[in-house]
Amino acid sequence: MDTQEHVELHDLYGNRGSEWHEPVSEEEICERLKRAHEEGRKVAIESGGTKRGYGGARGEYDWTLSLKKYKGIVEHNAGDMTITVKPGTTIAELQRFLQEYGQQVSLDPHWPEQATIGGVISANESGPKRLAYGSARDLVIGLRIVYPDGRIIRTGGKVVKNVAGYDMNKLFIGAMGTLGVISEITMKLRPAPKYESLALVSVPEGEEEKLRLLAVEIQDAMIEPVTLEILTPALAEKLTGTRAFTLLVGYEDVECSVKEQEGWMIHHKPENAVLEILHEEEARKFWERFAVTVPNTHTKEKDLCAVLKAGTKNMDVFTMMTTALDLGISHLVDIEAHGGLGHGISEYVVRGQQDNIIAVIEGLRAAAEQKGGYIVIKQLPFHLRKKVDVWGRNPGHFSLMEGIKKAVDPYGVCNLQRYIGGI
Amino acid sequence: MKRKKQNKVDPHIRSLTKIVGESEILYKPEDLISYDCDGFTVHKALPKAVVFPKNTEEVAALVQYCHMNHLPFLARGAGTGLSGGAIPLNEEIIISLVKMKQLLCVDYENRQAVVQPGYVNLKLTNSISDKGYYYAPDPSSQYVCTIGGNVAENAGGAHCLKYGVTTNHILGLEVVLPHGEVIEIGGEGAPDSPGYDLMGLLTGSEGTLGIVTKITVRILKSPQGKKTVLAYFDDVEEGSRAVSDIIAAGIVPAALEMMDKTAIEGVEAGTFPVGHPPDIEAFLLIEVDGIMAGLEEQIEQILEVCESWNVREVKVAKSEEERSRWWANRKTGFGAMGAISPDYLVQDGVIPRSRLPEVLKEIEKISRESGLRIANIFHAGDGNLHPLILFDSRVPGETEKALQAGTACLKACADVGGSITGEHGVGIEKKEEMRFIFTEEEIEAQLDIRDVFNPYDLLNQGKLFPKPSRCMDVKKIVKDTVAVQS
Ligand SMILES: Cc1cc2nc3c(=O)[nH]c(=O)nc-3n(C[C@H](O)[C@H](O)[C@H](O)COP(=O)(O)OP(=O)(O)OC[C@H]3O[C@@H](n4cnc5c(N)ncnc54)[C@H](O)[C@@H]3O)c2cc1C
Ligand SMILES: Cc1cc2nc3c(=O)[nH]c(=O)nc-3n(C[C@H](O)[C@H](O)[C@H](O)COP(=O)(O)OP(=O)(O)OC[C@H]3O[C@@H](n4cnc5c(N)ncnc54)[C@H](O)[C@@H]3O)c2cc1C
Repeated sequence: MDTQEHVELHDLYGNRGSEWHEPVSEEEICERLKRAHEEGRKVAIESGGTKRGYGGARGEYDWTLSLKKYKGIVEHNAGDMTITVKPGTTIAELQRFLQEYGQQVSLDPHWPEQATIGGVISANESGPKRLAYGSARDLVIGLRIVYPDGRIIRTGGKVVKNVAGYDMNKLFIGAMGTLGVISEITMKLRPAPKYESLALVSVPEGEEEKLRLLAVEIQDAMIEPVTLEILTPALAEKLTGTRAFTLLVGYEDVECSVKEQEGWMIHHKPENAVLEILHEEEARKFWERFAVTVPNTHTKEKDLCAVLKAGTKNMDVFTMMTTALDLGISHLVDIEAHGGLGHGISEYVVRGQQDNIIAVIEGLRAAAEQKGGYIVIKQLPFHLRKKVDVWGRNPGHFSLMEGIKKAVDPYGVCNLQRYIGGI
Repeated sequence: MKRKKQNKVDPHIRSLTKIVGESEILYKPEDLISYDCDGFTVHKALPKAVVFPKNTEEVAALVQYCHMNHLPFLARGAGTGLSGGAIPLNEEIIISLVKMKQLLCVDYENRQAVVQPGYVNLKLTNSISDKGYYYAPDPSSQYVCTIGGNVAENAGGAHCLKYGVTTNHILGLEVVLPHGEVIEIGGEGAPDSPGYDLMGLLTGSEGTLGIVTKITVRILKSPQGKKTVLAYFDDVEEGSRAVSDIIAAGIVPAALEMMDKTAIEGVEAGTFPVGHPPDIEAFLLIEVDGIMAGLEEQIEQILEVCESWNVREVKVAKSEEERSRWWANRKTGFGAMGAISPDYLVQDGVIPRSRLPEVLKEIEKISRESGLRIANIFHAGDGNLHPLILFDSRVPGETEKALQAGTACLKACADVGGSITGEHGVGIEKKEEMRFIFTEEEIEAQLDIRDVFNPYDLLNQGKLFPKPSRCMDVKKIVKDTVAVQS
């Protein structure tokens, strides 16, 4: 990254350190944090920074600790289907390494070429396939954490089943780096699918309810899709060329099973719907394009842009999506969105004028909360993060989270104020 | 007269009675005996009282009372725990959740169900199976154990190889914290709710961080097809190599279980014999499930792998009835040991799957050296061993030997990079063995988290963590007591 771009990014998204450090060993990470702890420094942690616009009420930290150079595979036990990696390894590097063994880490977050495993786990990123394979909390079996005072604490272990002591792994997954630096990650692997395909079902405007019903029917049938991701018309147009609500039904299994499920789909295609099925390489290419459609902090955008994540009950994703489009129309902003009808996570890219974007965020948040869900803002320039709450209201048990932060990081060394309620 | 009698009752008992009502409290010694231990019967102690709250408010009121009066307390489900988690070490008030046993709601469209903690695991599957749904975690004790107890222990089961353990199926919890406050985690089941993953932390915390009073779980659609294979081997090592090769072939079996010769002798003498050949060294019970069309191919591959490891005989279940018999034979395996030994002790180590052959040899050595027979019934697919150490507590010194052999088995697991427990929990049984896998600092880090929830350590005191000063005492207590009565 050239220096100019670097500075601009910092100014736009905050979460920057005045000094930049790139440790290449765990000892260096320990030393750096120990010093911060002793000298009362505030440290911003990143693995590469695709999520620099994600949370954070501080513009400035004393240091940035970047882990992008602390990367590589530490240990791969092909027979045990486990792998241990350093945090700066990108998702793409990891998958390419495993490909040779016919294995994979079953995580499909955005921007695999740039997003690192450390960042993905810390921000708890997932993709459409979490429907079948779960998210980081289901895959991580062990971590090495450099605590904010420089101690090394291991959590979990290297075996796939383990209930010894508290399940401390869970604390650090999605903690946004506020509880220390993850210096090593052990995950369980899955065999790469023997065959895959992707059915794209789109319906004319006004008939999107048919896709909801189809999704219900699919889930109630004995078929096993790996995705049930719905795309709004604007996002579908970017990916398929057709401006229509589209349901992405993915299959991964042995070939005859995939074919059988495609047959089911052909048989159950709603009236007036268009069905296209992509196989193998075509399906993989589609998912590659899908993974880079939502902007990250490095993407150059003409307009002001916010990225939101919503969590609701599974089928409420559908209502969230239509609510978002209505809000887009009434507040004159462009919205592209996708969400998993079987897993409850949806994502919204909102482009337009500052005040309109904020109004949409608030409207969508109200809709989510009414359904017992939430909205978090995954990306927003720093000056706007002061106007609208990134994480939404604190849960009733927030004091426990504060307590955990205090117990692990009493001096607020790591990513202070990055997370919910300013922890 | 009556009045006088009442006056003798401990004032705490009177106050607790006010909260739950006369009929929902036990405090007379003779009534307390069945609460002196759980499935880990090596250690026994009486509680001060057992109370049976009917709702969350009563649980909260009980907890508040205990907190204000510095009375130690703990939660109890069905009491099937195998590591002593529900044993009252400090004259606890036992808060039994068995009367909170309702299925509160099932939401098929969103694939979730809400249950009270005392709801029995298997009942959930039974209540939703007519619609083609089920609850995946299936501990062998599922016909009695409670979902609250499953959450506390992060229980596993035979089918967790493909579908994950309890923690992978919990969407929301209502919890009474140790000072009596009621909190909701995970809302109405929305995933990834912002903030630290307290749901993940609480699951598997063995009832030391709070009392779970409501649980939202994920339910799954039953697979379209299931195929089950029984493969007999003349050599344990060849059987274990087949396990690794099945996984390496890119198959994700729903279950992959193994039993050795001694275990087979037990189950054949037990309630559900299926006629395994008596001279066989080991068998694998393998199940694949999913889209019917794809299963045949996987079964063929599995058979090929077994052939390549000189399997003596393989059978594919011909009917659901046959399949059920094989599973009943497996799931009642622990209890069946009672047919061939007066007492047994179950261990629960985990190892990387590829180390199976060497660890099984090590266990054989431990058996030889201790002079005690050890049967192995285990979840081979995820490397979760259950050595069952057979002994006779009437023979002086044998209980002690059995406990030592158990510890040695766990050491063998830890030494190959494994864990001391895969599903039964640490409880009081494996507190000291925590040191096999964690440093003093790491244990301290976990205690720091406990203090956030449970600062006065009134809830389930003395479990899960070794206490430096007390470690010798604990070993001695265990040494002096009687072991598992089967
Ligand atoms: C236009 C563009 C240009 C780019 N140019 C370059 C370039 O010139 N050079 C280059 O190398 N890359 C470049 N990249 C790639 C990019 O900088 C990183 O590879 C990518 O941002 C990785 O970030 P991340 O997703 O891992 O998450 P991050 O944003 O790093 O982290 C997400 C969250 O997790 C926390 N976190 C991250 N890691 C840890 C950890 N180990 N322990 C605890 N908490 C942690 C963070 O504090 C943060 O809260 C570019 C990308 C784009 C789009
Ligand atoms: C024959 C047999 C086979 C078994 N097979 C398996 C198996 O395959 N897999 C497996 O994982 N386990 C197995 N177990 C162990 C045991 O059944 C599980 O650990 C089960 O989850 C315990 O549930 P319970 O209701 O009996 O809990 P209890 O034994 O009553 O309690 C266990 C622990 O949970 C705590 N607790 C209970 N309820 C709550 C609550 N509501 N809130 C907070 N804490 C609570 C208790 O304080 C205690 O520490 C087996 C046990 C037996 C006897």
